[in-house]
Amino acid sequence: MAVQDYFLPKSLDQALDLLVEHGPSLLVMAGGTIAMPLINDGVSMPEKVMGLRHAGLNTIRRDNGTLVIGATATLTQLGQQDYIPMLQEAVRHIGGWQIRNMGTVGGNLFAPPPAGDLAVALLALDATVTLASKKRGLRTILLQEFFTGFMTTALAPDELVTEVRVPLPRGKTGYVKYARKHANTPAIVTVATHIVTEGNKVVDARLALNAVGPHPIRAQRAEKLLVGLPLNAENISLAAKEAAAECDPSTDAIATDWYRRRMTEVFVRRVLEHLVEQE
Amino acid sequence: MPSRIVAFNLNGRDVEVMVKPLTTLQTVLREHLHLTATKSGCRQGGCGTCTVLVNGEPMLSCLLPVEDIAGQKVVTLEGITPIEGLHPIQQAFFDNYAIQCGYCSPGVIMVIKALLDRNPNPTRQEIMDAIAGNVCRCTGYEPILRAAEDAARRLQSA
Ligand SMILES: Cc1cc2nc3c(=O)[nH]c(=O)nc-3n(C[C@H](O)[C@H](O)[C@H](O)COP(=O)(O)OP(=O)(O)OC[C@H]3O[C@@H](n4cnc5c(N)ncnc54)[C@H](O)[C@@H]3O)c2cc1C
Ligand code: FES
Ligand code: FES
Repeated sequence: MAVQDYFLPKSLDQALDLLVEHGPSLLVMAGGTIAMPLINDGVSMPEKVMGLRHAGLNTIRRDNGTLVIGATATLTQLGQQDYIPMLQEAVRHIGGWQIRNMGTVGGNLFAPPPAGDLAVALLALDATVTLASKKRGLRTILLQEFFTGFMTTALAPDELVTEVRVPLPRGKTGYVKYARKHANTPAIVTVATHIVTEGNKVVDARLALNAVGPHPIRAQRAEKLLVGLPLNAENISLAAKEAAAECDPSTDAIATDWYRRRMTEVFVRRVLEHLVEQE
Repeated sequence: MPSRIVAFNLNGRDVEVMVKPLTTLQTVLREHLHLTATKSGCRQGGCGTCTVLVNGEPMLSCLLPVEDIAGQKVVTLEGITPIEGLHPIQQAFFDNYAIQCGYCSPGVIMVIKALLDRNPNPTRQEIMDAIAGNVCRCTGYEPILRAAEDAARRLQSA
């Protein structure tokens, strides 16, 4: 059945009203780079669709020590800020030019793995997600709590993502996407890290992985292992092994679970080694 | 739900179309307006042959509901082709054998147009980055890179 109605709300308020009025029969989309292919293919046959392109949620601004990214800011827009170079690096590795011009930051939080190459960087930076609903107003949760399973999130049916807030990193950051091709290619594994050191010891560590779990995940055992230790070859190698042991990859057309796990070890090690080399 | 009228600027002229909900710009161009330079390949965002410029930015017309771009400026390959002869980018593609079956060409040429509008003298790497969203199954890309470099030279000396 063809789509019966397409709404293009002009504000967040209008969008939330439409969500209440139409309930679950309304499919939400922002850039449409995930939703439209499914509709074109007939895999998804929504009765009603709401597009967020004109809902006024696409600004990027700096608020004290935080980068505030509107949910419908495009990946291209995010690539133009330079407060957080790791996010520019992540954007460079997503899709081609056209996908970056259309795909949004908010949409990337819903991308099923192996997509989610921006979300994994946001996860490493302790980003929070702001959710809005008509009834309950705004709430802010950690991105880590936003992900609940494969293609499931903490978003309630009457909610929209309005913003992603990213504190400016205090330590060093690293990002690498390993894939079969250099560009416009699904990840075998993507690693994003943020390491804070004092003296020669790690005091805080974030190690986030994509394409090796049901959603972008943190390798928390590997993170814990690093805290209190110097970031040297031996500890890096231990952390890389731990990350490979705790990730949960699956097999798809791109790589086997076995290969993904092996490459997780290799690329966690390389990202961390690279941080040391930067000194 | 009844159809709606959507107005936008296409290749410098204002047009109005009547569309069903969620009709894509690709469908409007090809089926309503019979402008078939913009191709339909995968309709999945994966091939890039449906690329058009919206306010100068390369976008995939197969994923873009036309209502989203109401009031905006769209340029397709027809829009850069002169009445007589070819645009310098088209001529460079022709002369450098960058067109074999030609199915990817409309999308690739629009991307190269957008690139050269921003960066008249791109490096090879910048050209590769720009066309990363366009698939060509024939040329092996090398002739396309040469054509883009040649087009940059032609436009600069023009
Ligand atoms: C050819 C191609 C290559 C790609 N390459 C990559 C890649 O390399 N890496 C990668 O990570 N991704 C990739 N993607 C996937 C996708 O383009 C990106 O993940 C993009 O960021 C998705 O954003 P969107 O706005 O287009 O999503 P949409 O399709 O608009 O949204 C998808 C779903 O997310 C939900 N949603 C979106 N925004 C909101 C909101 N504000 N509030 C509530 N719900 C919302 C809705 O349920 C919606 O249906 C690729 C896609 C294609 C077609
Ligand atoms: S037809 Fe639009 S990307 Fe292939
Ligand atoms: S010339 Fe045939 S696909 Fe490019």
